[in-house]
Amino acid sequence: MSHGGKNRVIRRALEVIRSFFSTMSMAHRQQVVELTTLEMRELENMFVLLLMGSFTGLPAPPSFISVELMPYLEHELKVVNRRAENSSDALAEMAGFFDVT
Amino acid sequence: MTTLIVLVGVAVYVGLYFTYGRKLETGVVKASNENATPAHRLFDGVDYVPAKTPVLFGHHFASVAGAAPIVGPVLAMAWGWVPALAWIWFGNIFIGAVHDYLSVMASVRYDGRSVQFVASDLITKRTGKLFYYLVFFLLILVVGAFSAVLGGMFVANAAVPSAYIFKIVGALILGVLMYRTKLPFVVSTIIGIIMLIVAIWLGTVAPINLSRNAWFLIMFFYIIIAAAIPVNVLLQPRDYLNSWLLYFGLAIGALAAIFSFQGFTAPAFTSFSPIVSAGKPSPFWPVIPLIIACGSLSGFHALVGSGTTSKQLTSEKAGLPIGYGAMLFEGFLSTVVVIAVAGFGLQLMTDAGQAISAADWGSRYTPAMMATYPSAAMFSNSYAAMVATTWLNFIPRDIVVVIAGMWVASFAMTTLDTTNRLARYTLAELFLPLQTKSEGVYKFFTNRWIASLIPAGIGIWLGWSGSFSMLWPSFGSANQLIASIALLTGTAWVAKRLKTKATIALIPAYLLWITVTAAIIWFSAVVLPTTIANNPATGIVVLVIEIVMLIMNIVFIIDFLKTRNLPAPAETEA
Repeated sequence: MSHGGKNRVIRRALEVIRSFFSTMSMAHRQQVVELTTLEMRELENMFVLLLMGSFTGLPAPPSFISVELMPYLEHELKVVNRRAENSSDALAEMAGFFDVT
Repeated sequence: MTTLIVLVGVAVYVGLYFTYGRKLETGVVKASNENATPAHRLFDGVDYVPAKTPVLFGHHFASVAGAAPIVGPVLAMAWGWVPALAWIWFGNIFIGAVHDYLSVMASVRYDGRSVQFVASDLITKRTGKLFYYLVFFLLILVVGAFSAVLGGMFVANAAVPSAYIFKIVGALILGVLMYRTKLPFVVSTIIGIIMLIVAIWLGTVAPINLSRNAWFLIMFFYIIIAAAIPVNVLLQPRDYLNSWLLYFGLAIGALAAIFSFQGFTAPAFTSFSPIVSAGKPSPFWPVIPLIIACGSLSGFHALVGSGTTSKQLTSEKAGLPIGYGAMLFEGFLSTVVVIAVAGFGLQLMTDAGQAISAADWGSRYTPAMMATYPSAAMFSNSYAAMVATTWLNFIPRDIVVVIAGMWVASFAMTTLDTTNRLARYTLAELFLPLQTKSEGVYKFFTNRWIASLIPAGIGIWLGWSGSFSMLWPSFGSANQLIASIALLTGTAWVAKRLKTKATIALIPAYLLWITVTAAIIWFSAVVLPTTIANNPATGIVVLVIEIVMLIMNIVFIIDFLKTRNLPAPAETEA
C-alpha cells in the first residue's frame, strides 16, 4: 500500500474512533437528559394543577390570572391529553426510564 | 482459545445479523422507511422525539445491559463452556433478539404503545393485566437475587463496596457540578470520570470489611432512601458514571479476550445434570433459561423497547440495529464472561484452596465458586486474571478486579433502587379495583413509603435468608415468563396485523413457553422442597410466587390459543 493510501486508512480509522466516542458521549447525555425531563414533567404537572386547580375545586390563584397564563400551557395541554389517553399504559415507559436489569 | 471464541462469536453475530436479522426485517416485519415512525408522526418534543440511531442504540443498550448478563453465565459454567455458549448464542439470535425486535417494531406500529397494550389488544385484556402481576413478582425476586449477588461480592472483595461508596460521593458532587454550576458539560464529564477513577483507587487502599448481615441492612436503607430523593441529586449523575463504566468495562474485556491467547481450563461439557441450583443436579433442559436470562433473552427488554425506545426511533429501518443488534451486543458481553471464567476460573478456585479439577467440575464448580468467589466475584476476578495476561497488564490487577466488581455492583445497585419506583406504579395499578371498594386499603398500599417497603423489604429479606443459587433461578423464571408472553404477543402481532409468516417467531415462542413452564415445575418440585425444609418461610414465599406465576402462565397460553385464529380488532390499529 502506498504512503498516501496508508495515511488515508489511518485518518479514516481515527475518524471512526472519534465518532465512536462522540456517539457514546451523546448517548450518555441523552440518557441523563431524559431523567431531567422526567423530573420536569412532575413540576409541569404541578404547574398545570396550580393553573387549573380551580376547575377541580383545588385552592388556586384567581381565575383571571390563570386564564391569562393559560396560553403558555397550549403545548402541555396537548401532551396532557395524550398522556391521559395512555395513562393506564405507563409500565413500559417507566421500565425504559429506570433500568431494571 | 479465548481469542478464537471471541472471533467466532463476532463472526456468528455479524453473520446472522445480516442474514437472519435482515430476513426478519424484510420478510416478516416488512420494515420500510416510507412508514413514518411515531417519533415523527406524533412529535411533541417531550415523549416523542426522533433520536440519532447510534445514540439511541447506546441508550437502549445501556438500559438493557446490566448485571444479569454477567451473573447468569458465571452460574451456567457448571454445565461446561460449550452448553453455556450454545445457549447464549442460540437463545440470543433465534429467541432473545427476535423478541426484542418484535417488541420494538410492534410498539412502533402501535403509536409507541407498550407490548402490554398490544397483548391486551390482540390477545385478551386479561393478558395485559397479567403483566402487572408478573412485573411485581419480578421486582421482588430481582431485589432478592441481586442483593444476594451484592452481599456475596461485598464480603468476598471488600474494596468493591468501598469504591462504590466513594463513587456515590463522586456522583453527588457531579450532580452539584452539573446542575448548580455553569461548568461546561465536557468539563464536568472529565471531572466525573476522574472521580470515578479516584473512587476505584480509594476502594483498593481503604476497603470496608463488614459482615454479610451488615451489608444487607445498609442495602435496605440505601434503596429506600435512593428511591425517595430527586433523580438529579443521585440517580442521574450516578447512572451517567455507570454508562462510562459499562463501555470501558466492555472495551477492556473484549480487548483482553482477543489478546489473551489462553487455552480454556474449564471443561467443554460436564454432564447434562451438574450441581447448579441449591445443590441439586439441574438438567440443562429446561433449567438453562432460568440461569442465563438477560445474556440470552429477557422479558424486561420488551418493556424497555416498547416503553421509550419505540418513541424515539427515527426510521423503521433503524429498528433492526437497535432492537435486534443491541441484544446481540449483550450476548457478546455474556460471551466475554464465559471466556473469562472458562480460561481462568479453575486456577482462581484452586489457588483459593478448593479441591476442584476439570474432571469433577460438574459436581464441584458451584459449591467451590460460592465458597471462594461467589457469582459476580468470580467474574471480576476471572476478568482481572484475563486482563493480566495481555498488554493491558499495565493496569494493576487489584484495580481491574475493582473495575469489574464496580461494573456489576453499580448495575445491580441501580436495579435495586429503581425497582421501588416501578413497584409503586405496579402496586397502584394492581390495587386500583380497591379504590372504590376500600379506600383505606388502597391508600395504605399505594402510599409512597409502604409501596417502597414491600418489594424492598420482602426482596432484601429473601436475599438475606435464601441462598443465591435458589434465588437466581426464581428471578430467571419471572423474567423468562414475561419474555414468553411478550414473544407470543409479538407472534400474534405478526400473524394478525402484518399477516406475514409468523413461524420465525412462533417456533421460538412455543419453545420458550414449554421450556419455561417445565423449568418452573422442576424448580418448584425439586429445588424448593429442600429450601422449605431448611428455611420454611423463605421457601414458602418463593413457592407461592412460583405457583401463582405458573397458574398465570397456563391462563395466558389458554387465552393465546383461544384467540389465535380470531381477527385483530380494527379500531385500535394505529
